Amino acid sequence: MTNARLLAVTAAVALALIGGAVAAADLENAKKKVNDVCQACHGMDGNSPIPENPKLAGQNSDYLAKALRDYKSGARKNPVMGAMASTLTPKDIDDLAAYFAAQPPVLVSRY
Amino acid sequence: MIRTHVFAAALALAATAHCAWSQTPAAPGDAEKGKQKVAMCQGCHGIPGWRTAYPEVYQVPKIAGQHPAYIVSALKAYKSGDRTHPSMTAIASSLSDADMANIAAYYAQSGLGTKP
Repeated sequence: MTNARLLAVTAAVALALIGGAVAAADLENAKKKVNDVCQACHGMDGNSPIPENPKLAGQNSDYLAKALRDYKSGARKNPVMGAMASTLTPKDIDDLAAYFAAQPPVLVSRY
Repeated sequence: MIRTHVFAAALALAATAHCAWSQTPAAPGDAEKGKQKVAMCQGCHGIPGWRTAYPEVYQVPKIAGQHPAYIVSALKAYKSGDRTHPSMTAIASSLSDADMANIAAYYAQSGLGTKP
């Protein structure tokens, strides 16, 4: 295989992987859950109007998913979030994490 | 007397409902003092996409631009053990309430669209 062909194949595989990861998130499901479960405290776009509740818009999706899994398992303790997370399936959690991560961000990594 | 009690109970209830996240309202912090304390935060929270590797691999949260009251409640939860992460537990337990408020004030005003 020539270098050019190898590069093309590698690029195609990489794109397929990225595309697969994006397509895996069901944003319509997430939007429904946000409307039913999250928005009263975190806002529809994840920019919580209430200072005690974290802003989620633009947050890293794998951090958001871990937080929800920890609330669901009880590893992270909060009565409200424990109750909310217990109603979510693993798929809901991944969908919600992708949804909030994709909202216009206020949060940033900064010194 | 009874009316006072009812009022106090209502107030207590309202406070409990409002403070689901933080047990006590956060004292206003001093962002300038906070800036002098964030050297220990920058190694992870200052680097876009930085991943913590232990005990689980995930990207550390972005905290610049976050509500200060939430940052304080997160730090207190690490200090008390309600939230566990080896590095964060160690760091939070070294912080006083005033340090937490100052760090929270610093990060709260350094989000996108605001001056760092």
